[in-house]
Amino acid sequence: MNQAAAAPSASLPVPDIDDVNRPYFAGTAVGELRICHCPRCDALFRFAHACCPNCWFQNPDFVVSSGRGEVETFTVVHQAPYESFTNKIPYVIALIQLSEGVRMMSNIVGCDPDSVQIGMPVKVTFEKRGAVHLPMFIPDSRV
Amino acid sequence: MRDVTIAGAFEVPPRRYREHTSFDLFRMILKGALAEWNVRPREIDGLLTTTGGDVTGHDTYIHGRLISELGIKPALAETMNLGGASHQAMVNRAAMAIREGRANAVICISAGKMMRPGLGAAEIMVRAICDPNLEAPYGPWIAALYGLVATKFMAERGVEARDLARVAVSARKWALLHPEARQHGAGPITIENVLASRMVVTPFHYLDCSLPSDGGGAVLVTRADLGHKWARQPAFVRGYGEYHPRGAVSDAGDLIETGAVLAGRKAFAEAKLTPADIDAAQLYDAFSSTPLMLLENLGFCKPGDAARFVRSGAIDPGGSLPVNTYGGLMSYGHTGESSGMSLLVAGARQILGIAGPTQIERARNVLIHAYGGIMFYHTTTILGVEP
Repeated sequence: MNQAAAAPSASLPVPDIDDVNRPYFAGTAVGELRICHCPRCDALFRFAHACCPNCWFQNPDFVVSSGRGEVETFTVVHQAPYESFTNKIPYVIALIQLSEGVRMMSNIVGCDPDSVQIGMPVKVTFEKRGAVHLPMFIPDSRV
Repeated sequence: MRDVTIAGAFEVPPRRYREHTSFDLFRMILKGALAEWNVRPREIDGLLTTTGGDVTGHDTYIHGRLISELGIKPALAETMNLGGASHQAMVNRAAMAIREGRANAVICISAGKMMRPGLGAAEIMVRAICDPNLEAPYGPWIAALYGLVATKFMAERGVEARDLARVAVSARKWALLHPEARQHGAGPITIENVLASRMVVTPFHYLDCSLPSDGGGAVLVTRADLGHKWARQPAFVRGYGEYHPRGAVSDAGDLIETGAVLAGRKAFAEAKLTPADIDAAQLYDAFSSTPLMLLENLGFCKPGDAARFVRSGAIDPGGSLPVNTYGGLMSYGHTGESSGMSLLVAGARQILGIAGPTQIERARNVLIHAYGGIMFYHTTTILGVEP
């Protein structure tokens, strides 16, 4: 939240790297979608956590996701929230259910926004933004 | 358990108060409320408030400034924030203090100025409500986050865009009855009008969205004997439920069976009432989809039945369960940090019998449900004419 209440920015938002999410973005930089894993209770979580949200174990690690899943729900954005997204509309924001059972938010890219449907199989791709590689999803034609 | 009442409910008309600061609004609310309530400074021993009324500049010490303004020395005072759920939570915290004998008469107040587009409002609000690293980079904003929930709700429960639009049509019908609603003079709307308005984010058209406004209000929460002294018919706080099961849209868990299910059950259990006992409901409608979800979550309709219920006219003026009798956030106005106060004031006024042209004939029990975040933090309050 260290950029909160700053002036509106003209460039697309880039995640801040911190000690907790560094392994996650180290993964996306080498083409891996990593999911947070608790070695004690074996639970899986999206993104990165300082301690396990299930059992509060202090040192969760990461496993590599298959990068495949399906669209749980989505919205097609026609009105940009702020200036940096005006060139992107219409774009799709979705909640993805990864095959490992973990939910995450992302964009669906590489297809007509109006073709996106709940249950649609998708697979991960990465978009470079600043120094960070952001996981996004495209239709999975293999399924 | 000691009975607690709401003895007064006041709100300034929602407008665009461009020339006024949020503290100006707090002063307007206090002046109006105190004129209506006829209480004296020494009779007030509690003051609860939401943050300073402007999303960009949370004033976390606003209670101190209001104490100074009012010249009171309360035993209970706090600035609170649970988003749209703040207002009912204030009533609950006041009720707890009264039941424990720590306070007797508590002013609960909020003011809000919804930022204008073009000032970076969406970006600031996104950073406040979303995970800045996990969610914000994908370009969500408040409407889109609700869009995710609504799309899933519609698919699971067989709800169509026309059904969402029908909720907006009902809110407008109520606003036409409420002289202070922002759309009071705007005339009725039809389902076709809603569907023809521009698409904002799927599934919401412009008229499916609430109306950004400025405003605020206050309620006076008291010991029951003081309630009888200050109001002809005080509104008894019969039941309350609160539940906070998630903090982000991408958190694990059910998106459709929201925290309203448990908050509602707790409130009904405490009041020893069921949905059939409720004469009117105020259901937080940041977007047209949420009253449909809340009708099902709170047990007024079986899962999948809310759209048919709304189509039948049940929630309209003259219907079997009037909903958002003040015009809702969609047609009355969404006053930012004071949004939940509008529902509370509208619900209390029905029981107090001072709802003017929107007064329903039989108002013995009214349910109010509001949430903060994107349906994250839930509060249900049941007010009644008897303890």
